[in-house]
Amino acid sequence: MQLYNVLVRPLITEKNTILQALNKYAFEIAKEANKPQVKQAVEKTFKVKVTTVNVSTVPGKTKRVGRRMVQTRSWKKAIVTLKAGDKIEIFEGV
Amino acid sequence: MKVTREKTESSQAFLTVEMEPVEVEEALKKARGRLSRKANIPGFRKGKAPRDILERHLGKDYILEDAINHLVPDAYEKAIKEQAIETIARPRIEVTQTEPVIFKAVVPLPPVVELGDYKTIKIKPEKVKITTQNVADVLENLRHQNATWESVDRAAAFKDLAVMDVESNLDGKPFLTRPGFQYRLDEDSAFPAPGFAAQLVGMKKDGEKEFTLKLPDDYPRSEMAGKEPSFKVKLIEIKEEKLPALNDDFARQVGPELANLAALRKEIETNLKLQAEKRVKVEFEEKALTAVVALSRVEFPPVLVEIEIDGMIEDQARRFQMQGGDLAAYLKSINKTAEQLHEEMHPAAEQKVARSLVLGKLSESENIVVTDLDIDTEVETILKSAGENKESMRKMLHTPPSRQSVRQYLLTRQTIDRLAAIATDSGRPARKKKKEEANNEPQPE
Repeated sequence: MQLYNVLVRPLITEKNTILQALNKYAFEIAKEANKPQVKQAVEKTFKVKVTTVNVSTVPGKTKRVGRRMVQTRSWKKAIVTLKAGDKIEIFEGV
Repeated sequence: MKVTREKTESSQAFLTVEMEPVEVEEALKKARGRLSRKANIPGFRKGKAPRDILERHLGKDYILEDAINHLVPDAYEKAIKEQAIETIARPRIEVTQTEPVIFKAVVPLPPVVELGDYKTIKIKPEKVKITTQNVADVLENLRHQNATWESVDRAAAFKDLAVMDVESNLDGKPFLTRPGFQYRLDEDSAFPAPGFAAQLVGMKKDGEKEFTLKLPDDYPRSEMAGKEPSFKVKLIEIKEEKLPALNDDFARQVGPELANLAALRKEIETNLKLQAEKRVKVEFEEKALTAVVALSRVEFPPVLVEIEIDGMIEDQARRFQMQGGDLAAYLKSINKTAEQLHEEMHPAAEQKVARSLVLGKLSESENIVVTDLDIDTEVETILKSAGENKESMRKMLHTPPSRQSVRQYLLTRQTIDRLAAIATDSGRPARKKKKEEANNEPQPE
């Protein structure tokens, strides 16, 4: 598992914007990644200090494609708490 | 907000308005709220996205544009009030700068009309005279209209009616091919090609002939101009025009209520006279009106002309639609664009605007008032020719908008009558005109 493969994309949603007030940032991460890897990856890429990492697997949903039922892929989400005062810029405005 | 009034020109005020940053910020805030409620940003419900996300998603310029679009009309209203300007139409607004927001507005002002000394206008009315020659011409026309066509067995001559089978082609394509084609041998006719009639002269019944003719160089369909179609004609029948004799029977045929030829002549004469009088009257009013307009100083903003042109074009389009046509298609057929049409109508529209303004002023200065009673009588006159559904028409004519248009019409009418009276002699009060004469609108098309 390479470090640069860990973080897939930042999750910018209504709910996560509220979390930003608590210094928490959400990412989609690779299925194989674990908490220490996420911590390392975030610290390296954004030059911040991570205090906590929470991960959860988001199960795929069953969707209809025409007559068939299809399973969408499941994915992993990480919510990273930063040390007070640190910030990740891509979540902020342009 | 800073408003500067730069200059006034041809009844238009030029304003420059500079907005304060605070006002712009306020407008931006409103715009953000408005757009956010509509924007579909993934991950957010409508109206819930924070400002920076919204700005990134829509672009700052877009939000600014929206803010300006809402800000400027309000600011314009305020500027107008501040400058105490009376407007008559929508202004032309141009945003010249966004940082800070500055816009220029061209505001159409109410037109200025100064009547000249219209009381001095004196025009000699034209005399109406009907000669016996005029009557004879009409009689001759009537004879042609009531003529019968009789088959004759002789060579065809000019003024005959020929029935024939025609086949013709131009460059291998059929040009005019019609069996049983009826054709009047008219020496000057350019249809289907000049000289066609001359070719037929001298042909006998059942005769056949082949010939080619040259189309004129200015033929309407340019791809055929100057070409030489060939014709093949088989004459089926020759008919001669038999004019009815000019006698009492003929008079009765034309009008069952007419007793004899003398009565017919009399009838024609009165009709001609009425027509001529009507024409002279319209021309006279036309001249008087032109004279007043020439004497007066009229200044109006160009928007009025634009509005008038739009009205005229709409009118034309409607007329085309009634005939089952289409204005756009017609314009294409005469090779004109809508802009060209617009351009062409400009002088006429300008004249129309000037005239209606002068008339309006004139009715004011002459104190012409249309009373409700006048309208009622006019409505009744219109209803006289209505026929069966009189009641529903009466109802329709008494609705406020149509009463208003009748009032407008009567006002114009009475003003013109007054003007005509002034121009004829030394300002005698307008005579009461006969109602049916009120039907001709002297405005040119």
